[in-house]
Amino acid sequence: MAPPPHEEDDAEVSCSKLSDREFYTIPASSSWFQWDEIHETERRSIPEFFDGSSVSKNPRVYKEYRDFIISKYREEPSRRLTFTEVRKSLIGDVGALHRVFLFLDGWGLINFGVPAVEARDDGCTAVTVSSVVEEGVPAGLRIVPASAVAGGTQGSTAGGESVFRLPPLTSYTDAFGDWVPGKGPVCGVCGNHCQHGQYEKTMQDGFFKCQKCSLDNGNGEGKSADGSKTNDHMNGNGDIGTRSWTDAETLLLLEAVMKHGDDWNLIAQHVRTKNKIDCIARLVQLPFGEHILGTINGKCEIRNSSSQAANIRTIHHGTIENSQEIMSTEDKPDIQNDEEKVVEESCAAPPLKKRRKQSIIDATDSLMQKVAILSTAAGPDVAAAAADAAISALRKENPDVMNFFAADQHEATGKFASYETQNELGSELVNEGQDVQKNKAADTSEPVPEKFAATAFRVRAAVATALGAIAAHAKLLADQEEREIEHLMASIIDMQLKKIQHKMKHFEELESIMEKEYANIQQQKESILEEWITVLQESVRAGIPRWRDHAIPWSLLNSVL
Amino acid sequence: MKSLPPSASKGPVKFRMPTAENLVPIRLDIEIDGQRFRDAFTWNLDDPDSEIANFARRTVKDLKLPPSFMTQIAQSLQTQLAEFRSFEGQEMQTKEKIVPLKLDLRVNNTVIRDQFLWDVSNFESDPEEFARTLCADLDIIDPEVGPAIAVAIREQLYEIATQSVSSARESRLAKKGRRGVESISNNKVANGALDLMKVFGSKGTVLRKRKEWYLYEPIVDLLSNEEVEALDAREERTAR
Repeated sequence: MAPPPHEEDDAEVSCSKLSDREFYTIPASSSWFQWDEIHETERRSIPEFFDGSSVSKNPRVYKEYRDFIISKYREEPSRRLTFTEVRKSLIGDVGALHRVFLFLDGWGLINFGVPAVEARDDGCTAVTVSSVVEEGVPAGLRIVPASAVAGGTQGSTAGGESVFRLPPLTSYTDAFGDWVPGKGPVCGVCGNHCQHGQYEKTMQDGFFKCQKCSLDNGNGEGKSADGSKTNDHMNGNGDIGTRSWTDAETLLLLEAVMKHGDDWNLIAQHVRTKNKIDCIARLVQLPFGEHILGTINGKCEIRNSSSQAANIRTIHHGTIENSQEIMSTEDKPDIQNDEEKVVEESCAAPPLKKRRKQSIIDATDSLMQKVAILSTAAGPDVAAAAADAAISALRKENPDVMNFFAADQHEATGKFASYETQNELGSELVNEGQDVQKNKAADTSEPVPEKFAATAFRVRAAVATALGAIAAHAKLLADQEEREIEHLMASIIDMQLKKIQHKMKHFEELESIMEKEYANIQQQKESILEEWITVLQESVRAGIPRWRDHAIPWSLLNSVL
Repeated sequence: MKSLPPSASKGPVKFRMPTAENLVPIRLDIEIDGQRFRDAFTWNLDDPDSEIANFARRTVKDLKLPPSFMTQIAQSLQTQLAEFRSFEGQEMQTKEKIVPLKLDLRVNNTVIRDQFLWDVSNFESDPEEFARTLCADLDIIDPEVGPAIAVAIREQLYEIATQSVSSARESRLAKKGRRGVESISNNKVANGALDLMKVFGSKGTVLRKRKEWYLYEPIVDLLSNEEVEALDAREERTAR
């Protein structure tokens, strides 16, 4: 009939985001609905149209009603379609129409996601429950204040429509919408963000009141002042924002921690803008902070170790912290300094941190493999930073190499470029590099092979990194898959076991029931037999002739005895 | 569910209100010594008769009417109930019939005019639910309007029911089978029931023509207080 083209016309006229179709949302539970058919659900829910019991109700009529109502709703999906709007356009008993309408409404085929309007309460503004998920108040529900109306009430029944009213449910945004991390807590009374140091925590409800509100209430109620305690320990100074830690402050904090160890007063002095509580809190929040807290006391010796492995691992920890700093600052020396500091600080941390996930670094892997793994774990920026840091560390270690790098930068990059193009042939390059190394060892005076050595060194590092990264990644994935498979198998087996156990339990129950029933039956048989005997006795006593026809039920006798 | 041939009647049924609850519409309009009491409500037939006296007494007390109203109220109530009961023994027509009902009433400040179709053979219909839906959809604040609508509907249904009783009697007297029934359905009802076959048969459509929509649309008017008083005064004058 008309509906599908009607729908598309509207789509073009009203809003055509997608080429020529308009999408309407209906709940997933109503996905059985189709324009061209009448589904079993509909037949079951509104049987009056489908059982042939009346002339006016047949499937064709139902389909017309349904299609019209849904099309009418979709003309303007954002407004709530009322029954009164549609019933003027449809011929038929309003009761039946209403049932169709309620059916469609209940299944979300119309008025889905439309804000509901609760009936007014004699002058109050309508309360709109605005939420996409909630369905509206059913059309037939009306909230009426129970009032003793003069001369308009009924004798006994009919018309008593006072439905009690539930408060609207608070959604998450209502409760937490105003709360932004970084600001102080929201006052429960006036809704303002409290300047910290100016709020009090009430004992009863556990929500915060800013000082003004509690003072006001204190005068009025007289109990909040007694019951509240100033929540002072959260912020001592009360004039600086507690949450926003800049990178500079964090750096100062770390420096201070390394220098002063456990002395929080000195640390707070060092970080001039934060008090000691904040410092402790911030340190705990940092990724390796707890370790620092734990280890600053005991393990200061590790600080000065210069092992490569430790460096790189700690650089990994450190880069999360200082990658931003690296990106922001452009001075290489600065980077080096920062990294040094972080390296030194992080050296204090134990090698593998297991806080959030298992360490993916296998201690037996070669150095390059570790680098490769770390580079895959972190993003490319971080990997670049780590590579820089590694190179600088290497440089420091081997001053000769640094000379090579620094002196022939220009030529080296040229050679490096040419080597780069052949990067896939890793082994050959490595061989070349090794050859070059040998040349270098043999021929000490030539700068060129030294240059080659330098570039070859770089090339080797790059190539090995790439290969190692691939290999490590693949291994990781394989391991992961295997673990998953095992896990799934285990859960399947678990489920089967449980199923079987349930069945067994079920059968056992049945068996016990059967036994009880059997015992019951036996008892009843016996009692029946006894009654029979007494009846016979009485009849004999009374002298009533026994009919031979009604014999004793031998089967009964036999089964009991 | 067994399938009946479309035009078969459901068989004669004892007289009752063709609604889910057997509530009788009552209208009171009593005047004593210049004081007027008007009311309209529904009464549940299952209530014992003692309730009538209780109701009368309570009404007089709540509205602070002179006590002479009490007997009048009770009497009027009795009369109307008795009239209803007099129909009860008889049988009524149950052929499927969809009639247009009209609303044209004023409750305090609200005026409603409406027209809609009602299936009088549906013994599970619910005027109160219809009234509730109507008030909710039209955002009517006054809580008295809903019950007034329900009473108005019931009154019309009552009238139709009594007519169907007399028509059933006629058809029995005429001793004609189906033909008699069908001929009767064309008269006695003011606007006539719907020609079911025409609308719901295979060639018809249940979608009303757009130009006719306004006829079946409810019209709600809110009157100002002066208008209400003017109308009240006019009605009293016509009543006298």
